[in-house]
Amino acid sequence: MKRNLPFKFAVFAALVPFAALRAESADRADLEALRAQVQQLEQQLKVLSRQLEIKEEAAAAAPPPKITLNDKGFTLASADNANWIKLRGLVQLDSRLFFNDGGGIANNAFVLRRARIISEGQFAKNFGFQLVPEFGGSSISVLDANLTVAVTPGLQLKFGKFKTPVGLELLQSDSWTFFNERSIVTNLVPNRDLGVQASGDLFDGRLSYQAGVFNGVGDGGSSTNADFDNEKDFAGRVFATPFKQAAGSPVQGLSFGVAGSIGREKTAAGRASSYRTDGQQTFFTYNAAVVADGENWRIAPQFDYRLGSFGAIGEYIVSTINARPSAAGAKAELQNKAWQIAAGYVLTGEDSSLNGVVPRNNFDPSAGTWGAFEVVGRYARLDVDDAAFPAFASAASNADSARSLGVGLNWYLAKAVAFKFDYYQTKFGFNAAAPAVSTAQILRQDENAFITRFQLAF
Amino acid sequence: MKIKSLALAALVFVPAALSLAKTIDLLNVSYDPTRELYVDYNKAFAAHWKAQTGDTVNIKTTHGGSGKQARSVIDGLGADVVTLALAADVDALYEFAKLVPQDWQKRLPNNSAPYTSTIVFLVRKGNPKGIKDWDDLVKPGVGVVTPNPKTSGGARWNYLAAWAYALKKNNGGEDAAKKFVAALYKNVPVLDSGARGSTTTFVQREIGDVAISWENEAFLALKEFGKEKFEIVVPSLSILAEPTVTVVDKVAKKHGTEAVAKAYLEYLYSDEGQEIAARNFYRPRNETIVAKYAARFPQLNLVTIDDTFGGWAKAQKTHFADGGTFDQIYLK
Repeated sequence: MKRNLPFKFAVFAALVPFAALRAESADRADLEALRAQVQQLEQQLKVLSRQLEIKEEAAAAAPPPKITLNDKGFTLASADNANWIKLRGLVQLDSRLFFNDGGGIANNAFVLRRARIISEGQFAKNFGFQLVPEFGGSSISVLDANLTVAVTPGLQLKFGKFKTPVGLELLQSDSWTFFNERSIVTNLVPNRDLGVQASGDLFDGRLSYQAGVFNGVGDGGSSTNADFDNEKDFAGRVFATPFKQAAGSPVQGLSFGVAGSIGREKTAAGRASSYRTDGQQTFFTYNAAVVADGENWRIAPQFDYRLGSFGAIGEYIVSTINARPSAAGAKAELQNKAWQIAAGYVLTGEDSSLNGVVPRNNFDPSAGTWGAFEVVGRYARLDVDDAAFPAFASAASNADSARSLGVGLNWYLAKAVAFKFDYYQTKFGFNAAAPAVSTAQILRQDENAFITRFQLAF
Repeated sequence: MKIKSLALAALVFVPAALSLAKTIDLLNVSYDPTRELYVDYNKAFAAHWKAQTGDTVNIKTTHGGSGKQARSVIDGLGADVVTLALAADVDALYEFAKLVPQDWQKRLPNNSAPYTSTIVFLVRKGNPKGIKDWDDLVKPGVGVVTPNPKTSGGARWNYLAAWAYALKKNNGGEDAAKKFVAALYKNVPVLDSGARGSTTTFVQREIGDVAISWENEAFLALKEFGKEKFEIVVPSLSILAEPTVTVVDKVAKKHGTEAVAKAYLEYLYSDEGQEIAARNFYRPRNETIVAKYAARFPQLNLVTIDDTFGGWAKAQKTHFADGGTFDQIYLK
């Protein structure tokens, strides 16, 4: 046993270097693996650091949301304009004076004609809303409440309550009509209604269209949540500005088109439509027992023209209804017609526009500037169908026609602030069956109204 | 008497003429890698304009991802001229804001692209991963640096060059091309918003094994950071990149800079303008200058956006619009 000891030692000694070599080789492989891991981790760390750096750079470079306060309202918008909310306002305080009205039939009065806080907005670029409560008048109401989806510039969908696309002057903003009050022609078109509408601009804005389906309202009426009946009205309008791109041409600002509506109505209760003068006094109303029963339709050719400081609008409207004097009465088709032409000229040289006059210089006495002045004139006429008398309306207490002449002066102190001074004279015509002296006191003489307005619109 | 009259006239007219000279501000909104080019060019043009008209023109140039820059102009950045990475970004100025006419590209020679470039690879010295062609970029473990095609014009050229290679390799197979490009973007660890950011990622932050780069940007990296650190690899196929320029009519009209803006872009086609472009590693259009710098720019097989992709409008819609091919492959 002892003899073997040197031999074993020799073998052990011989094997040690080999074992050391193997161990060294294994260590080197481990080291390489570790080095690769460290490099990989280092690369990952660099990537993470760079990603963080890029995020920080992007955050630093990202433009902040935009806040704008100007004569178009208060706007809060995201940096890319994809989302925004705008608050606007409209306040109109009127003074109404009536002359030679046979002893104060209509009260001379101050009237808060309109008081609105308008909220509008857009989300994710293509989805919009509008909410317009009305605080003026005797009660609070919601005038407009609608949602829009912009599919393309040529197709936008609107859902909710908004203006029916028929009357030219009615579709114009309440703030920027030539006169304080829209003409008597507007009596024949539907006002705001609940429905769904498609609209858009085509051919680089040379043609616009609206087409929709609505609950359906009578002449001059606005919809509540309660529909008259199960039937629906269809309304549409096409309006062309064919020479829009013809810069410098006298016809560049000429737009024309036609609008219309068609539907059926069958009302269980009375038909509320009544027609008012420029001074907002009623000169025609159907008897309380009248019910609509059958087709109704309207057709409204219209034009707008702007050339520098000069502007003009015109429209002709035919409104036809089928109705019965009472639920059991004989049905008749009644056709009422109206037309108007109105024009304005900005004396101080600014452009006439559907969107109001923007003074070159705001009213500022200390700077010797006075804003912009515009003179306006209008003639309008409305004729009620002869067949309406006496079964559908009393000839004794209603006029069968009204002719209105208006002149006015608009003083724009700034884009958002204006005084408007309008004088209206309305003459009435009567059915052959009417008595010599109308039983309605306001119809015994012409209406002579002087309406002054102080307006804040932004 | 005659000399006195001349002296008098000089006394009157020279100051008068001097007083008529104007100082004009001009804003050029450009894309990421043109910083050095327009530093040189702006100096040259200002001197040229001064000599021609006596007016002083102060030219400011902003840089960023081409798509992002176009969006800024649409949102109201008052650019008198734009010099962007590709026609689609200039088209957007017409499409979304009508700032330029629809036919803007016909107003200057060569489709309003006064210089061109192409897409190459920038690798680390010694090319440790053996990158030779596009196929090497989709191999596992290869880190590829390229910017975000949503914001960077250069990135869109990179993407389309890869797509064109895959199309050719697969005999026009769109599905195979899509898979190839998807595999390539799986190897992209960081998406910068512009080409210059990408260069920073690769060169300074030492991320990735290969950067897909504008040729001019790759040459610049070699010049700035040393040939001992980086190499350029020219792939077997690439794309002819045509950066385009135009006057932003609505803005220039408002600023009263129409004449100088037009002259600014036209001068890019002059001998001096072309020489400056070539010096800054852009491929010039002028044949004489092309010949002079022939050794600098390698010959390679180039496809065009029109021939392979049907033009920018179609390529933009197919690949880079929301929901387009890039969104599909990158979101996956």
